[in-house]
Amino acid sequence: MDEKIFAKKDIGKLLEELVPEYKFYAPTKIKGNIAFKEITDVKEIELDYLNSKVPPKDVLFPQKEIIFEYKYEGKDVIIEERKDLEDKILIFGVRPCDAYSFKLLEDFFASGDFQDDIFLKKRENATIIGLGCNTPRQSCFCTSVGGHPFQKESTDVYLSDLGDIFLVEAISDKGKSLVKKLTWLSDAKKADVDKAKDLAKQAEESITTKFNFDLVTKVLDENFEHPVWQEISESCIGCSSCTFLCPTCTCFDVIDENDEYNNRGRRIRIWDTCQSCLYTLETSGHNPRPAKIQRCRNRIMHKFSYYPSNYDCLGCVGCGRCITACPVNNELRLIIDKILEIEEKSGEKVSA
Amino acid sequence: MVKSMGLETENKEIENNLREIARGLLKEKKVDVIIGYMEGTLPLLSQPIIIDSEEDVEKLIWNNLCYVNLAKYLVPRVPKFVNPEKGNLTVGVISKGCVGRGLIHLASENKINLDEIKIIGIPCNGVVNRQRIEMEIGEKEILEVSVFGDNIIVKGKDFEREFPYDEYMNDLCKTCKIRKPPLVSKSLDLCVGECEEYSNIVDDFSDISEFEALTPEEKWNQITEELSVCTRCYACREACPMCYCNLCFVDQNKPVWFGKTTDLPDVFVYHLIRAMHMAGRCVACGACSLVCPMGIDLNKINRKLEKIVKERFDFTSGLDPDVLPPMVDFKLEDAQEFALEED
Repeated sequence: MDEKIFAKKDIGKLLEELVPEYKFYAPTKIKGNIAFKEITDVKEIELDYLNSKVPPKDVLFPQKEIIFEYKYEGKDVIIEERKDLEDKILIFGVRPCDAYSFKLLEDFFASGDFQDDIFLKKRENATIIGLGCNTPRQSCFCTSVGGHPFQKESTDVYLSDLGDIFLVEAISDKGKSLVKKLTWLSDAKKADVDKAKDLAKQAEESITTKFNFDLVTKVLDENFEHPVWQEISESCIGCSSCTFLCPTCTCFDVIDENDEYNNRGRRIRIWDTCQSCLYTLETSGHNPRPAKIQRCRNRIMHKFSYYPSNYDCLGCVGCGRCITACPVNNELRLIIDKILEIEEKSGEKVSA
Repeated sequence: MVKSMGLETENKEIENNLREIARGLLKEKKVDVIIGYMEGTLPLLSQPIIIDSEEDVEKLIWNNLCYVNLAKYLVPRVPKFVNPEKGNLTVGVISKGCVGRGLIHLASENKINLDEIKIIGIPCNGVVNRQRIEMEIGEKEILEVSVFGDNIIVKGKDFEREFPYDEYMNDLCKTCKIRKPPLVSKSLDLCVGECEEYSNIVDDFSDISEFEALTPEEKWNQITEELSVCTRCYACREACPMCYCNLCFVDQNKPVWFGKTTDLPDVFVYHLIRAMHMAGRCVACGACSLVCPMGIDLNKINRKLEKIVKERFDFTSGLDPDVLPPMVDFKLEDAQEFALEED
């Protein structure tokens, strides 16, 4: 049998063996919230979690990223390129929805006329260790966006949580060579593999939020100016919780920070958000998205209309973070319901 | 269809009363729209709702999860209560004490016109500190929450826990002295429902004495730890009824005034400058903390500010639209020990 197992209590062994080679990222608790951070001490790793509050996206695409630094020497400006991009990264315990988000991020950063060297270099050097999702939440809907709580896509090694042990499957070539190196893993028994299958089935059945997103995309494309957007944006307060906790949002802003007292500076990029009043604000002062109605619409259109037409897939992984994060409960499920209602109502009219 | 989560509480009577008032106001065309709360779709949440028809009155609720300050929906940055033909609409606002204070304070800063508003006053017994409960439950999914008597009962798939309400309500609610919207002498017509007249508010601020006794270093550590998880989503600012600037100082980009990263100095500068702007203006609704997706608690900063303003200017925000707030006003006898003394 190809599958391997290791006891959860041996996580320290895994860390010890991989830390010299990789920057080892794993879920940890920071002020009560689960987030992926670089781990050096096994005690920091949190294995009992539903999903992280902040998605692991920020390991490869952090909220603030230095593009390069520079210094002045006389009249010359010396550019200092990043030296850490060759570092090997390992992200442990990524839920299938978040693992799939890396594929969507790649779609964005690698397609079109521009290749994002920083992201793509990091992605190339990253090994993703996925972890099946035994307990999806009420707000989860990965099965509606082509995912599954036990989906292995975009992972290199895939783990299933069987209680005291992890079942280990090598998925990609990268994953296969990694698993080969971990000689202390024991072989899985058939019972272990069967248990993982059962858990996958149970997890899938526990997902109750389901949508027909093909229909959503169609309705969106036909109703850009529909009054429903007024209704949808009415209670939105215009914060960015939904976009900053989203595993697939990719918008960023580039800023030069000049430290003139020290004759140096840096060019950084920081996450931008379509919910901000500065988003798409032009130098002239004109903003094509001047109010909440256009900003709320942009977020939904981007995920469920622009992504399908640009990359032939939905720009959402169904993690439900925007649903739980919205402070005024103006959540995605309600928005999708309202959008689908347009179709239902127009259907009624036709039949009448 | 997403189901809404009912919160069973003992506030049914208040809820019935407010629906009655709301229905009457809409029927008699005393208001064009009403802003209130409806049930949330997840436990520990509620949804602000704007209604304009009598049928929708049944959607209005009142419980201990109505944490958003609805005054926010009326500030000038959100100019939506206008009908192209009729002009400005009259808006009824379901108001607990701090919503009423928010409206009155906004009027004192000339930001809203109270003639276009009806305060539908309700007595509030505080809102649940939802972040604290979420953090204590930890990595388990909360499926049901109810508030009964002295307890908040939280249920999940294989757990049930009780939290004493007095302890687990929002910290600012614990010390709140203005639970019903203040009665405003100028316009008796303004307040419907339960409002109350307040004279001088007495507050000993003993709740923050522990924090005040810390050394500067300890305070620094406590506040920086609290702010370290900030993602700068600005939910605190967007939920705050007093944050209505057209362009926030932190968004200024011609030139850029402050760093925009999530590095600690930048985060710190944002929160502390925002706090300075709240002096004598904060109405202690706690919405900034209750909406934070990362669970940052800004209450201590707000309480300390409230104390400073109370001691220096004997001022409590949001009680009287005709009294100028200290930061808008100038008096010759104002203390100014920051200025250099003349020889």
